[in-house]
Parts: sequence; structure tokens; C-alpha cells
Amino acid sequence: MANTSRTLVTMPREAKKGEVIDIKVIVQHDMESGFRRTEQGGLIPRDIIRSFTCTYGGSEIFRAELHPGTGANPMIVFSTIATESGTLEFKWVGDNDYSSVATSVLTVV
Amino acid sequence: MTTPQLQQVCLQWFKKLKQYLIVKILLSLLLAYIAILTSSVVQAQSKAKQSSYDLMSAENKALQDNLDMNPAAFWLLDGQALWTQPSGPKSLSCASCHGDAERSMKGVAASFPKIRSRRLTTLEEQIEICRTERQGLVRAGHESKVSLALSTYVASQSKGLPIHIDDSPAMRAQIDEGAKLFNKRIGQLNLSCAQCHDERAGLKLGGSVIPQAHPSGYPIYRLEWQSVGSLERRLRNCMIGVRSEPFPYDSDELKQLEAFLMWRAEGMILESPAVRP
Repeated sequence: MANTSRTLVTMPREAKKGEVIDIKVIVQHDMESGFRRTEQGGLIPRDIIRSFTCTYGGSEIFRAELHPGTGANPMIVFSTIATESGTLEFKWVGDNDYSSVATSVLTVV
Repeated sequence: MTTPQLQQVCLQWFKKLKQYLIVKILLSLLLAYIAILTSSVVQAQSKAKQSSYDLMSAENKALQDNLDMNPAAFWLLDGQALWTQPSGPKSLSCASCHGDAERSMKGVAASFPKIRSRRLTTLEEQIEICRTERQGLVRAGHESKVSLALSTYVASQSKGLPIHIDDSPAMRAQIDEGAKLFNKRIGQLNLSCAQCHDERAGLKLGGSVIPQAHPSGYPIYRLEWQSVGSLERRLRNCMIGVRSEPFPYDSDELKQLEAFLMWRAEGMILESPAVRP
């Protein structure tokens, strides 16, 4: 896997104060488990995303650990409460110095 | 009555009964035959072309319908980037010849495979021909990320358009060869494509409904593969499933099967890039 890859984030741009918003994120990654072998029998080294974190206005609101059993292009769906206008930052970190960052701005009305 | 008389009466009565029974059996057989005929007519009528999209769960349908969630979007976006990226010794991109893909590639995927330079050619092959002959690049290889990204991007330009392939005599001959392969029993399980996907479509194999096998969404993101893959990969999957040796990628047999399947799906709406379990 390259050092970084494409990400897709689905969430509302605007929400009422106190409203629960759904966030869907998906990231492009092979999630090579480290248990597979090539046709010649050689082990394919593990290359996975290890962690995902989401910060809202600088403070962490969601974190997930990913393991070799997680499939390729993992999708994570979670929710949060819209408290104030700010930036949500999504960060994936993994093996072989992999890291991807996406941001999304939420306006609370 | 004397005993012989009684015997004769009994015999006559028995003969009549026998005749009656024969007539009755023949009549019921005839009725059963008519019933089978009409039910198969009803069956044939009820077997309208159905995309296997209809057999999917609501969650998988949502994955396909929403491009923000469809994992094939990654291949599509990679393909879009490759389209305009000059590469090779001549520094040419796809766009150098074809311009805007949204215009030039509209409907293209819905009409492949087709006869090009007197050879049956699939979309994947045509992309390789462009890359090697026009751009001067090396072959990307079937099922490589580059090949799948470009075919996904090109195919998505035909999303929503009906499948229609050429039916010239030359193409017709290839489709007929494909039809023969579709009906030919192969492998240790000694099954033909038709036995599952024509005769038993709609019934169950294990826990899943057997689809009609219309190639209306290729290249597809298959959850089992955790990747986008071509129709040829899917065909090879089924061949391994019936324990036969799969035809190699780009072989005449796979291309003829592909031509037959696209002809068989005439008029169906292309969903590329589709998601399948």
C-alpha cells in the first residue's frame, strides 16, 4: 500500500445544536492480513491500518483499533452530538508509515 | 346361470373395465401433459430479465447506490485520475485522444465486447490495446489495479444506459459459440452454466438465490473479493466452482461467453460499478 490513499466521508454540513449526527467514513486500503501466501508459497507481509481517530474541534470523540481480520476498504459508521460549529478531523494510521487524513466542517445552527 | 355363462359375463365385464381404465389412464396422462405445458409457458413468461441487484440485502443495495459508500468509487476516482495523466514515451493520456470521457465514453461499455480488427475484443483488452499501441506503455495485466481503475471509470460512463451489442453476422457467430459453451457440461461436477442460471435461476444453492447471471454491473465490487473485478474473473470463479479448469484470461472461450451473456442481457440497464456479495 502507498503511504496514503483515498478517503470518503459522508456527514451533514449543517446540524441543529444538540442534534445527533451520523458519520460514515470509508478508506481505500488492501488490509493485507499477513496470513495470505503467494502462488509460490511465500508469506505476504502484513500491511493494515492499525487505528482510526476522529477529533471534533480538537478533542477526540471516537477511536477504533483495526486488526488483521478487518476486510479491505474498511467502512466505519458512528454518531456524535452537534455541540458547536467546528472541524472534524478523521485520521487513519497503519503499517509501513501509512497515514491518511480527511477533514469536514460542521456548522451548528 | 351356469358356471361357464357366469365366467363369460365376468370376462366381458372385466374387458370393459380394462378398456375403461386404459382410456382413463391415457386421459389423465394427456391432462398432466397439458398442465406441464401451460405451467412451463407461465414459468417462461414470469422469467423476466432480473438483475441480481434485486436479490441483494437493503444494506448491500445502499452500498451500490451511494457513491460516497460504494468501495468501487476508489477505482473510479483512480481511473478518472489516470484518464488525464500523460504517461509513456509519447507522454499521452487517454484524454489526449478521447477527450472528455463523460462524452466520448458514454454508452461504450454497454456495447462491448465487439469485433475490432476482425477479432472479438473486450473492454479490458481494448484498454490494453490503447495503452500498448497508442501510449507505448507495457501491458497493465488483467485484474491489475490500473486495468480495473480504467475499466471502472469507462464503464461508469454508461451507467443507466441499456445494454446493446452488435449483431452483425461475424458477431453472431461469436455469440453462437458462447451459447454452446454456456450449455456445455464441464468439470468434475459435470454442470453447464445453463443448468444453474437458466433452468434453476430463482431457486436456491445453499442459502443463496441462484441469479440469472446477467452481466449488468461489471466491473463489480465483490465483497467476497474485497476488490473490484472483471466479468472474466467472475466467470473463472464459476468454472472453479464446478471443478473444471478455468479458461485463461482473454481466451476466445471467455470472450465468447462474455459476448453471449451481453447479448442475452440485451436491453438491461448497466449499473456499473455494481456491488455484489
